[in-house]
Amino acid sequence: MRCKLCSRDAVKNGFCDLHSMAYDNVVRGYEAWKKALEISWKDYLREIVKNPLTGMWAKEVAEHLMKNRGEA
Amino acid sequence: MAPMEKFTLIITEKPDAAQRIAAALDINGNLKKMEDGGVPYYVAHRDKPIVVVPALGHLYTVAEEKHGRSYYPVFSFKWAPRYVAEKGVKHIRSWLETISKLAKGADMYIDACDYDIEGSVIGYTILKYACGNKENVAKRMKYSTLTKEELKKAYDELLPTLDFGLIEAGKTRHEVDWLYGVNLSRALTIAAKDWSGRYATISTGRVQGPTLSFLVAREKAIRSFVPTPYWEVKAQIEIDGRVFEAKYEKEIIKTRREADGVVAACKGEYGIVEDVEVNEFKQMPPTPFDIGALQSEAYSLFGYTPRRTLDIAQRLYLDALISYPRTSSQKLPQSINYNEILEGLSGVSEYRALVRELLAKGELKPNEGKKEDPAHPAIYPTGKLPERPLNDSEMRIWDLIVRRFMAVFGEAAIRRSVKVKIKVNGHAFFLRGRQTLKEGWLRFYAPYMRSEEILLPQINMGQKVRVDRIILEDKFTKPPPRYNPGSLLKEMEKAGIGTKATRADIIQTLYDRKYLRGERMVVTDLGFKVFEILQKYCPTIISVDLTRNLEERMDRIQLHMESRESVILDAIEILKPVVEELKKRETIIGEQLSHAVKKSRLEERIVGSCPVCGKGSLMILYSKRTGKRFIGCTEFFKGSCKASFPLPQKGNVIPSEKACPECGWPMVQVKIKGKRPWTLCFNTDCPSKE
Repeated sequence: MRCKLCSRDAVKNGFCDLHSMAYDNVVRGYEAWKKALEISWKDYLREIVKNPLTGMWAKEVAEHLMKNRGEA
Repeated sequence: MAPMEKFTLIITEKPDAAQRIAAALDINGNLKKMEDGGVPYYVAHRDKPIVVVPALGHLYTVAEEKHGRSYYPVFSFKWAPRYVAEKGVKHIRSWLETISKLAKGADMYIDACDYDIEGSVIGYTILKYACGNKENVAKRMKYSTLTKEELKKAYDELLPTLDFGLIEAGKTRHEVDWLYGVNLSRALTIAAKDWSGRYATISTGRVQGPTLSFLVAREKAIRSFVPTPYWEVKAQIEIDGRVFEAKYEKEIIKTRREADGVVAACKGEYGIVEDVEVNEFKQMPPTPFDIGALQSEAYSLFGYTPRRTLDIAQRLYLDALISYPRTSSQKLPQSINYNEILEGLSGVSEYRALVRELLAKGELKPNEGKKEDPAHPAIYPTGKLPERPLNDSEMRIWDLIVRRFMAVFGEAAIRRSVKVKIKVNGHAFFLRGRQTLKEGWLRFYAPYMRSEEILLPQINMGQKVRVDRIILEDKFTKPPPRYNPGSLLKEMEKAGIGTKATRADIIQTLYDRKYLRGERMVVTDLGFKVFEILQKYCPTIISVDLTRNLEERMDRIQLHMESRESVILDAIEILKPVVEELKKRETIIGEQLSHAVKKSRLEERIVGSCPVCGKGSLMILYSKRTGKRFIGCTEFFKGSCKASFPLPQKGNVIPSEKACPECGWPMVQVKIKGKRPWTLCFNTDCPSKE
């Protein structure tokens, strides 16, 4: 099976090893954002997509999650 | 070549060194420059005639016993003239012929190549192969600067034999690196070529692989990074009519609620000085430059790549302005004669007062570092002044080395730090001041020091101060910084991989192979793919530990504690299963690499995003009809953007990765042979065109 975001082989949650690493960071990052800004998951994803410091793969994962209502 | 009485043949590493050595040794004032087949050599007279002939760096290299580039594994090798093993170096044939001819007329042989691993191998191979096995009778000239005095001394105090420990270590390094490089690179290149039918050099090596692993690890961390918000609170405090910025006691506030709470509590309040802490501390002078420290400093001050700094330093060395730069020493022995060097430097008006100050001290003692190099001291200026006008970059590096040399003899600087604790409605803020009380060595290194001075007025405990403003700053955590050539070099040094002479070249190779792009190093898709393949099918090859272990063993050869044969045999044992595995997976590896090469070739042509449609990317394309080069938008193929712009048809055009300062459009760099490259804004409506 191919990764949902690139042509590499999927290894976890439908993502390749690289996007999977980014996915884990996106999920983990929400804990800190929720505590910091009392923000919803959806708003969090929107924020990190527009943040220029967000890494390319993390941004791709967040955009994908936004399209899929937050589901991987 | 006219016949002459038997002479001493001196072999140097480079033509400039040959000229300097011959001039230094000649006592008749009758130095003659000769030429044979385009190869220069010098005839000088001392106790007897001396012929000084230069090499051009390495004239011999490791090569396979059997010819051909399309097979692997290869484990049998020999040392051969470079013109036999490499393309584009035909001139080396005449070079070797001249040296061989000269060697026949000599009755004494001296290796005067640079005194380090590479220089020793260069001299040894020439003496052995071009001079007819003269390596065991040859003597060695050891010097660290190309000044007349030192060269004469080195000639008068010749070492009786070559340094065979250094030679064995050097040969082993070349042979092991060749075994790694040729087998792994061929495995990857052949796999890609057999799959796609197109040739592209895909290389890796003993040090290249682990270096790429540092870059890939950093790239992964950056690309998967998710920033986290935090807040900083600052208070603008007014004291004696001046405004200072004090930082909140918690440098990072992790929740907006807490940050807002601090701001609300402190707004409009007065502050009371609760504590004033004054500390004085010594700032010791820097240590003398070794090559790594010089390269890092030159990168951070001038943006020069390690390769560029090394090249400049090499030129300054050949001009006898500085000592031998490829050193890992941080020591300056007294024997180099500090006073004489300083007196020489006082010939430059900018240095005169500083030199006088140092000489007035009486005894000079450098602040040496721990690192040693058995062959050479740290880098220092010779005290000689330039005999030709130096270009800007040479001048900068020379000045940096001169000032660093003076600074290491300076007194410690004494600085004062003041930390004032101000309580504002129960919340503590800190105001910090810094002041230099005694400049010491900072005076010598002034243009290159960035020490911040924040002078605070007299502040007393219990003093009431006005809080003008409370500032709340929204912040985000940042991804780890990208490596740059300077920081990567430091990382390699810290990990103990590569040598002072090879690290800069390895970094350059990663660029040449297109595994990296940009000064802030970005790993390309091709770089990722090569790394992934190595990680998947031969993880030992990218192991930093294994590489470091091999380095350590090669260092032991130098000390006669390990044999060359055992290191080579072990290297082959490591390589054999790796190469077998790569061969077994040739098709899949070839497919993956071919896709990555194709993508990388496309990536190379992308100039930037299209400012016309905002969706596509602008790319360097070729017209199918005319074959002419132009810029077009990738959205053209979807029919949604017709943006296209003409390009110069001559020379090489590559994306410049810079935006036009006038219109903000991406630009291209044009390189035409023999001309300085220039950047070009291709936007026909750019205000710069008016």
